[in-house]
Amino acid sequence: MRRWMMLAGLFLSLVLVWSVGSALAEKPIKVGIVDCYSGPPSTYTNDVRDAFQLAVDKVNAEGGVLDRKIEFVTRDSKFKVDIGLAAAKELLMREEVDILMGTINSALALAISDLAEKEKIPFFATFSKSDKISGQAGHRYVFQITENTTVAGKAAAAGLAKRPYVKYWIAGDDYEYGHAIAENAWKHLKELKPEVELLGQSWWKLGEPDFTPYITSILSAKPDAVIIATGGAGCVPFLKAAHATGFNKQVPFFMHTATELSTLKPLGLEAPEGVIGTSNYFYYYPETPENQSFVEEFKKAFGREPKVGALYGYITAQLIIEGYKKAGAFDTEKFIDAVEGMDLATPVGKVTLRACDHQAMLPMYMGVTKKVEGYDFLIASDIVTIPAEEIIPSCEEIAKTREAK
Amino acid sequence: MEFAAHVSWEALLQQVLVGLSRTTILFIVASGLSLVLGVLRIPNVFHGSLYMIGAFLAYSVAVFIGGPAGFAVALLAAPLGVALISLIVERGLFCRLYEREHLMLLLFTFAFMLVFSDLVKLVWGSDYRSLSLPPMLQGSFTILNLPFPRYNLFLLLVGPVVAFGLWFLTNKTKIGKIARAASVDREMVGAVGINVSWVFAAVFIIGCFLAGLGGALVAPTQNITQGMDHAIIIQAFLIVIIGGLGNIWGALLGALIFGLTDAIGILILPQFAIVFPYAAVVIVLIFRPTGLLKATW
Repeated sequence: MRRWMMLAGLFLSLVLVWSVGSALAEKPIKVGIVDCYSGPPSTYTNDVRDAFQLAVDKVNAEGGVLDRKIEFVTRDSKFKVDIGLAAAKELLMREEVDILMGTINSALALAISDLAEKEKIPFFATFSKSDKISGQAGHRYVFQITENTTVAGKAAAAGLAKRPYVKYWIAGDDYEYGHAIAENAWKHLKELKPEVELLGQSWWKLGEPDFTPYITSILSAKPDAVIIATGGAGCVPFLKAAHATGFNKQVPFFMHTATELSTLKPLGLEAPEGVIGTSNYFYYYPETPENQSFVEEFKKAFGREPKVGALYGYITAQLIIEGYKKAGAFDTEKFIDAVEGMDLATPVGKVTLRACDHQAMLPMYMGVTKKVEGYDFLIASDIVTIPAEEIIPSCEEIAKTREAK
Repeated sequence: MEFAAHVSWEALLQQVLVGLSRTTILFIVASGLSLVLGVLRIPNVFHGSLYMIGAFLAYSVAVFIGGPAGFAVALLAAPLGVALISLIVERGLFCRLYEREHLMLLLFTFAFMLVFSDLVKLVWGSDYRSLSLPPMLQGSFTILNLPFPRYNLFLLLVGPVVAFGLWFLTNKTKIGKIARAASVDREMVGAVGINVSWVFAAVFIIGCFLAGLGGALVAPTQNITQGMDHAIIIQAFLIVIIGGLGNIWGALLGALIFGLTDAIGILILPQFAIVFPYAAVVIVLIFRPTGLLKATW
């Protein structure tokens, strides 16, 4: 009997030592990424994930953050709010992630943001452009890395107001993103240049494949300039139709993401020149050593040039790494305190995560599409950098919209 | 509600031309769907996937060969490739299901839509692809003081050629006549010693060829991407329904209504243009629930 007791005691103490030991061993920091990896949006979201992986692999190779490795798991939202939200919940409960990030879908980002607030888990919105995320629906646990529709609209207005156009036509995707970009651009353009006049508007369904009839209809109205509020899938076919009809030669037009690599690369040299566009990032601009080394690392790892999503993924990884380092502990509240107002050295220079609304202060580059020797697609030229301070709503404005909620 | 004040006769006429060139693609895709529906009695849900594969194949062939010849070859090779795929699907799996319930066939084609969508992602990835036009089809003419893309003019020529070809095939050739007979009474056609199974296969392949041709023709005008299949299949079904199920001329009429109301709507009421073709569908179905022309169902 005594032998049995001794054996049991030994066994128990072994179990105890083992469990204490495993608790002491570094449990990795776990990040859960929910994003659309099926269908056309994946041309943007794959870059977010890959650049995130690049940064994380680098820090893990150096031993991790505070001796802990960073791990991540991904889930496909299939661009659907219910599927994505269920995935986020599953990541929290089953995978026990410490941080959530992702989604190119604004509606899903807002839903996950709600969940994050309830569960007190940090959520980094990487590619969803709704200004509500850091604006009226913002809270302590949500961070917006990408520029939002207010910022894009304001940047468009700032650039267009400097040009001599008076009579405008607005056309775009008939859903939240299109209308938000157009409204913001128009509102701020009107403030900067009160004499502008709106001749009319056209709205097409999301995913409209052929824009020729829209272009011929707009041309017959003879505006001075056109604001095109289409994003993602619409950009390539719109530029094709613009090229085929010679739209760009007859009327100057602005299109927010017209200069982005994902838009211009597939078009090759058959893209229209002179289209005004804005973007947060080009792999060929700014020509700084930081950007060049980032592009090289990314190309070496994945065999392609990084697009704008790569910047968002990389910044998110930097925030997580530097945030925990600065907090000095694995505590969510301390982590948030640490990242609030944090300055990062990124491929586009110093970027601050603003404390008042958790919005990353990214500069916006306005450029014009141009054929340049050495590239087999058009690139942005005559790039003007619009600093974040000029286009991001002030902390007072954010406070006002949040109160109004 | 804001009516566009700028609508002139020139603009309207031009918009009709643009609408007609758009109709070409809709007609080609919808007629293939209608053909299969009429003869085989299968609502082929993966017809849209074949259209997408046609576009991707056209892209790959054109890029592989390169130059203006690449585009010309792609226009023929892509639909032939799609026809080959459909031959494999038909002989390998489809032909075993003709005697089953319709629901089975519908589920089968739906499943294949999902399979094809994954296959396309596997083969071509998720990036946007774009096919360049040969120089002679680039740019635009000025018609009535407004630009009209050369490629749209090309489409305006292709449309009638395909329509004539289909008319010839169904009315003047033996296989067309047999197919029409088989669609009415397949037992009788079998009883006179014709291998109905092969007739069905031929019709199915021609229908799928048309889907691939539509995809190849549309490839230079838009981005070639996943999701093309969903967008077209809904429109194609609507066109087939308003035209009369299984009636090829109904498909032409339906495509004309769909394409023209769309284009004119964009000119006249640009803010609400999306509604026009669907409103036309509703109006047609209220007055003629079985479609404009005689349904073969």
